[in-house]
Amino acid sequence: MAAEQINSILVADLGSVHTRLALFDLVEGEYRLIASARARTTAEPPLGKVSLGVERAAQRMSDLIGRQLLDESSEDLFLMPESEGHGVDAFLAMGSAGRPMRVFLVGLTPEISLDSGRRVLAGSFVAITGTLCPDDLRSETEQLNALLTSDSDLILIVGGTDGGADDILLAQLRKVARALSLIRRGTMPVILYAGNQALRAHVKALLTPYTTVFIARNVRPTLHQEQLFPAQIELALVYDEYRTRCPGGFAEVGRYSQVGVVPTVQGTISAVRYLSTLPGTGRGPLCLDIGSANSVLVSATRGEPHYVVRTDLGVGHSFPSALEAVTPAQLRRWLPSQISDEALLDYAYNKQLRPATIPATLDDLLIEQALAREIGRMLVEAARPSWKMGLGPLLPPFNPIIGAGAILAEAPHPGVAAMLLLDALQPVGMVDLRLDPHQALAALGVVAYLKPVVTVQALETGALVDLGTAFCPLGRVRAGRPAMRVEIRQPGESVLRHVVRGGEFWLAPVAPGTRVEVTVSLARGLTLHGRRRLKRRLVTGAAGLIFDARGRPLAMPRPQERTRVLMEWLKAAMGGQLPEAAPIVPPEELHADMPDLAASERGLLAAVGDYPAWDEEWTDASLS
Amino acid sequence: MPHYPETTVIKGLVRVIRHRQLPHGAVHRRTLVSAGAQVSAVTVVLQGEVLREYHVLDVAKALKWPKATPAQVAEAILVTAGQRVRLGQELAQRGRGRRVRILQSPTEGEIVEIEDGRIILQSSERTVEVLARIPGEVESVENEVVRINGTGAVIQCAWGNGQFFFGSYLFLPPEGFAELRKADPTMSPYRGKVLISPVPVERAELLVAQHLQVAGVVAPGMPASLREFAMGLTFPVILTEGFGHRQPTTLIYRLLHSNMGRQAAFDAALPERWSWDRPEIVIPLPAGGVFVEPPSVIRTLEVGEQVRLTRAPWDGVLAEVVALPAGAQTIDNGLRVQCARVRLPNKSEVLVPLANLETRG
Repeated sequence: MAAEQINSILVADLGSVHTRLALFDLVEGEYRLIASARARTTAEPPLGKVSLGVERAAQRMSDLIGRQLLDESSEDLFLMPESEGHGVDAFLAMGSAGRPMRVFLVGLTPEISLDSGRRVLAGSFVAITGTLCPDDLRSETEQLNALLTSDSDLILIVGGTDGGADDILLAQLRKVARALSLIRRGTMPVILYAGNQALRAHVKALLTPYTTVFIARNVRPTLHQEQLFPAQIELALVYDEYRTRCPGGFAEVGRYSQVGVVPTVQGTISAVRYLSTLPGTGRGPLCLDIGSANSVLVSATRGEPHYVVRTDLGVGHSFPSALEAVTPAQLRRWLPSQISDEALLDYAYNKQLRPATIPATLDDLLIEQALAREIGRMLVEAARPSWKMGLGPLLPPFNPIIGAGAILAEAPHPGVAAMLLLDALQPVGMVDLRLDPHQALAALGVVAYLKPVVTVQALETGALVDLGTAFCPLGRVRAGRPAMRVEIRQPGESVLRHVVRGGEFWLAPVAPGTRVEVTVSLARGLTLHGRRRLKRRLVTGAAGLIFDARGRPLAMPRPQERTRVLMEWLKAAMGGQLPEAAPIVPPEELHADMPDLAASERGLLAAVGDYPAWDEEWTDASLS
Repeated sequence: MPHYPETTVIKGLVRVIRHRQLPHGAVHRRTLVSAGAQVSAVTVVLQGEVLREYHVLDVAKALKWPKATPAQVAEAILVTAGQRVRLGQELAQRGRGRRVRILQSPTEGEIVEIEDGRIILQSSERTVEVLARIPGEVESVENEVVRINGTGAVIQCAWGNGQFFFGSYLFLPPEGFAELRKADPTMSPYRGKVLISPVPVERAELLVAQHLQVAGVVAPGMPASLREFAMGLTFPVILTEGFGHRQPTTLIYRLLHSNMGRQAAFDAALPERWSWDRPEIVIPLPAGGVFVEPPSVIRTLEVGEQVRLTRAPWDGVLAEVVALPAGAQTIDNGLRVQCARVRLPNKSEVLVPLANLETRG
């Protein structure tokens, strides 16, 4: 179907824990997000078929909106094209579920070509298994073993400038060919070549006898020029092919999708790049997406995206590796109650065993939120060198800031989501905070490949949840001293005045969507965009208006005050009301029917008897 | 709207179908069973070999023969590509008698390629034998995958240390590990048997078990910091609930208790996201002429169903679903999530996130 005939687009995001569907359609002449639904991802055993989760999410969406999506009469997954209010015109898929692609990097110079190669890979869910370059001091056998025993899915070859000297890179290519020629069993890695274009024919001649070769434009056409985008486009194709070979049935979903299975982060990059080019936005957006297995930070300024993808940081599958990277001591800074390293480690590994489970107690929830803050902080540190702007440890002035991933998007209160974003990223000045609970940003980034107008209009018509504007002055005042004098004028209401004190986090209690005029006067030592007094007309978000006088850089409470201060912050973020903990039930009441082991030991023979030997109480229904 | 919960099979009698194949990266050598064969849990069904490092051997250099022509080198080589070689086996030879020079294989392995006067040899890291791990009948052998069909009680567990044992088991004595510390390993009834502990274990308890030469340990939990230590033990360690001080799921220990005296397969498979193997205990039982179904892993949650709760504060508790409220509910920590209302063993009713409960299969 031609792009101009497409009106309704269904996008599936195959996440590590959840499969989300987002449906975009034309409503009163504008494209909007009209529904979203999710189900548990079913890629892993014992189901091992990712399409099952897509079907369940589609069924759920159909139940919600009364529109039939699944095609039950043919072999197609969805009813296509849309007809009489049922079905959709196009289906697209993106994913972060599955094992990261293992990539071996071959280049010429560690500081130039290998670094460019790493930047190409930084936008995908990959794990670098090894590198090879002419400076390598390992023996020929060791180099061969490095290539062959890494079990790589892809070998990315970069190096050389276009038309420059080619003999050294040619020698590297011969080593790769030699290694490939020895692979008799198991995975044959595919090749992505993004080096000196003069060697393209050699690459094909040397390597195509053994494996599939993808060729992209040189990442370093000249010594001073770096172009990553063409190689990243080819990498997306490689990733799609890799996904189809992976366990989990991705190939089936990829067949129905018009773009295969695109890495979710590529969708986010595409959307963030678009947002950064909108006129009048000035500063670029920043998106923090914290998932179960992977976490991503994407930002862009004037169309140039920067991104960090970490496949070892997440609040579910990757909890243990994230805890190791973050360290328990860093995590404890955010926890009001004492918890030992051992208990944190137990929590991490239990979460990894059951990544889809939800913290059901406040203590558990706070642990996961603490990790989310630290993951955000680590991603900012990793991204900082690529930004080449900003003041020391402070975040450059990105706006808006968008949070995605269940830990942020499904926080108990919009104020908590706002506080988590502020704690993790520590922005300065006035910043608009948004949430992406439907993974719409990445979905619209993928939709842009097919029909960019949908991306433009859906982002303007509320695909994201507006949390509100946060006022985060630069500098610090002592705890308890007046920091911000705030006046909020709303039509038909009395003026709301509040003094925000040093160390305080305050949500102005104004209904979402209200047009207000805000005047903020700052204490000495604090500034907002270089000023001590400012007046703005704003529309409030789901969290109202957010005032953060905890200082920049954020002043963490001293250990002896930690419990009190963190609980105060939490209470403020929850709109002034803390959740009430349920009464603790003694374990013996819940596990009361444990057998008396001593007695049962004595009565062993009597108890076992002849087949069947199980208690009546739990005899399977199928046998009764 | 239907909800499809996670499933951890805890069943008294089900059909057990397991696929056995060589681990990733292993090279198939032999299939030792055929369709229709009866196998015990310790029957070897597949043999293979894990090949790892490559060795590039320059023949002329090794034979100290710098002026050798390619033809001379080719003539000196005694092996062919694809051939398996032993450690020390002669790969090439120059001359005879006192002046003989021999290139011996530096490792056991396989000749991958002979080219330009060089022998490329891939060393054998280890041989692999895949056990049936459950008694039953071989249903099929296809593409180096053996499908075995049996019946019995199945208890899927949370974690294992990668070991396997088939045999009988005993419960921890009422006095606990304190009693076992005093026991003489040679006289202990626990020697050669799997020790079932309904309380979590620590390093000291695992050391006692090792001292008593038990054949395995099953416990509700242990500290996650002991994972490496447990993986170094030669007997299976199986955690039924997870890490830390976890309460045992009553049903699991009752099931084990009721079948005590029988032999069981203690398969402490290390959990891996993309692997079909889960740590489990299978107690083989005859079907007794009854048609026994395999456990169901694709089922919607229904009111009246017995579920196992997997998160604090109710972890390890078996409860009954009494209602499935429509729409998200607010739970104690403020999160708004889809929930089930369940009845706990103390007859109280609580809201539990659907994500935190699992069916028994």
